[in-house]
Amino acid sequence: MASGGSGKTYSFKVVLLGEGCVGKTSLVLRYCENKFNDKHITTLQASFLTKKLNITGKRVNLAIWDTAGQERFHALGPIYYRDSNGAILVYDITDEDSFQKVKNWVKELRKMLGNEICLCIVGNKIDLDKDRHVSVEEAESYAESVGAKHYHTSAKLNKGIEELFLDLCKRMMETAQAEERLKGNGASQSASSRRGVQIVDDEPQATPAGGCCSSG
Amino acid sequence: ICSSFLDLVKKKLRTERRGIHVDQSDLLCKKGCGYYGNAAWQGLCSKCWREEYQRARQKQIQDDWALAEKLQREEEAAYASSQGATSLGPFSKFEEKKTNEKTRKVTTVKKFFSPSSRTAPKKESQDGKTPSPSISRQSSMETDRVSRDFVDFLKNLQKPGREIHKQCRAFIESLSCKKDLSADELSECVQDFYQNMSDRLMSHFKGSSECVEQVMDQVEKYIMTRLYKSVFCPETTDDEKKDLATQNRIRALHWVTIQMLCVSMDEEIPEVSDNVVKAITDIIEMDSKRVPRDKLACITHCSKHIFSAIKITKNEPASADDFLPALIYIVLKANPPRLQSNIQYITRFCNPSRLMTGEDGYYFTNLCCAVAFIEKLDAQSLNLSPEDFERYMSGQASPRQHDSDAGWPQTGPAPSTVATNTALAQLHDNLEALLGLSSRQENLMEAAQSLQSDLVSWQESVQQEVKDILEKYPLEIRPPAASAIDADNVENDRLPPPLTPQVFAG
Ligand SMILES: Nc1nc2c(ncn2[C@@H]2O[C@H](COP(=O)(O)OP(=O)(O)OP(=O)(O)O)[C@@H](O)[C@H]2O)c(=O)[nH]1
Ligand SMILES: [Mg+2]
Ligand SMILES: [Zn+2]
Repeated sequence: MASGGSGKTYSFKVVLLGEGCVGKTSLVLRYCENKFNDKHITTLQASFLTKKLNITGKRVNLAIWDTAGQERFHALGPIYYRDSNGAILVYDITDEDSFQKVKNWVKELRKMLGNEICLCIVGNKIDLDKDRHVSVEEAESYAESVGAKHYHTSAKLNKGIEELFLDLCKRMMETAQAEERLKGNGASQSASSRRGVQIVDDEPQATPAGGCCSSG
Repeated sequence: ICSSFLDLVKKKLRTERRGIHVDQSDLLCKKGCGYYGNAAWQGLCSKCWREEYQRARQKQIQDDWALAEKLQREEEAAYASSQGATSLGPFSKFEEKKTNEKTRKVTTVKKFFSPSSRTAPKKESQDGKTPSPSISRQSSMETDRVSRDFVDFLKNLQKPGREIHKQCRAFIESLSCKKDLSADELSECVQDFYQNMSDRLMSHFKGSSECVEQVMDQVEKYIMTRLYKSVFCPETTDDEKKDLATQNRIRALHWVTIQMLCVSMDEEIPEVSDNVVKAITDIIEMDSKRVPRDKLACITHCSKHIFSAIKITKNEPASADDFLPALIYIVLKANPPRLQSNIQYITRFCNPSRLMTGEDGYYFTNLCCAVAFIEKLDAQSLNLSPEDFERYMSGQASPRQHDSDAGWPQTGPAPSTVATNTALAQLHDNLEALLGLSSRQENLMEAAQSLQSDLVSWQESVQQEVKDILEKYPLEIRPPAASAIDADNVENDRLPPPLTPQVFAG
């Protein structure tokens, strides 16, 4: 559910998916707090984090949702990712299995959410390139085949992470704007014309008064 | 003891000429039940007084309702007229606020103390489930307060505030006319209203979503406080049935241990178990809130306590894989009242912007996940063999016995035992506090009763005294005393009788 328009603030929900130990938490903490494996971390939790961005003059509120990845919670996936604008699917480049898991997620997301959701496939831990078990070509061509974008990151070295989130935000904004244009073509009154809504409108041009937030 | 009292009575009898008229019937209860009455109880006995008091209280509650509604209308009228006169400047605004505050105080005082003999109270509840008087009184006061807060808030917005108020009122009225809507239809109406309202606010505030959100929060609070009774767990849904099913399901899963769920909370650490207890309290409290956002806040508080517990245990920030099992554990321990109804209510009537992307929404989603997990939970989800799962479910075996049989490397009580123990300890504390309270109340009742019997026996004794005195000093009309000039003259008797006027015929 994206809200916004020209000059407004966009709010996006992004879910984080991937097998255990691929580095999901590390990625988000690096991005939102610029921390890695910090034992004295002050963050209370790393399951819901937010980041405010300004992209080409437009404000974006990013909400990043960590999801429980254990197998026994698999069936709960749809509850987590409903209404999300983007999904970041993380695998560990040294772990072939984790890449297979990503493929499963992609299938499920496309089935449930169609093409509305922006998918990012992320190969993490590129600082361990010598132990790589997932080939770059394979991963990138797979991503392209499912309409996703592929990124390489290292939470440890802080590589590729800013680019990943910035790029994702731009794509989500494009999707939201396209949706708005669609809505603008006659669909805008759909909500108000529905049954049950009674907007009393004898003063169509409510004059804006100053001090909207004066009450605190 | 009595002699001084007797003196008092004698004196009284002497000074008050008309006071000796004490009749047995005056001392009895005015209701004619045969017991003694008491002036302090308006001439009734304690039993009749209590009955009378109850009746008056009921009436007062109803009157309060009527009064609250009347105040609401007055407030609206005052608000509308004050909005008409916009050129009065800031000072008059201030004055207006002051008088408002004054009338508010007065009316509150009135509410509590006037025996209120107003008539024609409006019966509130339309359907079968009549809320208990104390609840309806409380909720009417809450509705009243929320309405005032809303009006106060909107005053700062001036003209658009009036517009918002009008639309909210119109919306509530339009909904109250439509009694036959399904829960989903009701939800759609409310969501459409939110959408329309926030669209308008968005253009009014020129895209400042913070301002819009602030107003929308107030709109939600106002609307949902008023609609709550008719749209929470409505009879058109099977919410109530689901509540019962979930409640029973959670009860049946009482044997699930913290280890089976792989929860990273060590309840042997006092700080952790403290947070666990707080989390349980928060999630239970959700049911007592009326505004969807307030219910959400309870879930958020609960979640924060869970995070603290995990952080203390693990010394690192909790991820979703830590959080969800812990939340499941808390829900199992708390067995929160009307869990499904509350989730449905929030889903249907919460302002969607909060639910979709906000932090509250994240925790709410996790709660939905926890409930879904609990509903579907099987042997596999707890890493148990199907046989063990069956035996635990049927109550044939309990996991703790099984653990010791299997010789698990456990020293001391298992964390779940500790949890149970702390919960039990708390329960015990609460029980003790309750016992203390009830014994204090008993003492109070006893004191009141002895006071009452004292009063009765006092009256009896007074009556007896009066009787005695009357017997001892029977009233006899004596000839008037001699004239004052020679009152002190002892030899008076020997004097010849005074001259009496003689009437001569002729
Ligand atoms: N070398 C290297 N190690 C990393 C990198 N990112 C994460 N790690 C390590 O991988 C391990 C797992 O990282 P997490 O961030 O906890 O992984 P996760 O996906 O959140 O795991 P779960 O919460 O269990 O699902 C930790 O020991 C990290 O230090 C990276 O870019 N390079
Ligand atoms: Mg993690
Ligand atoms: Zn009586």
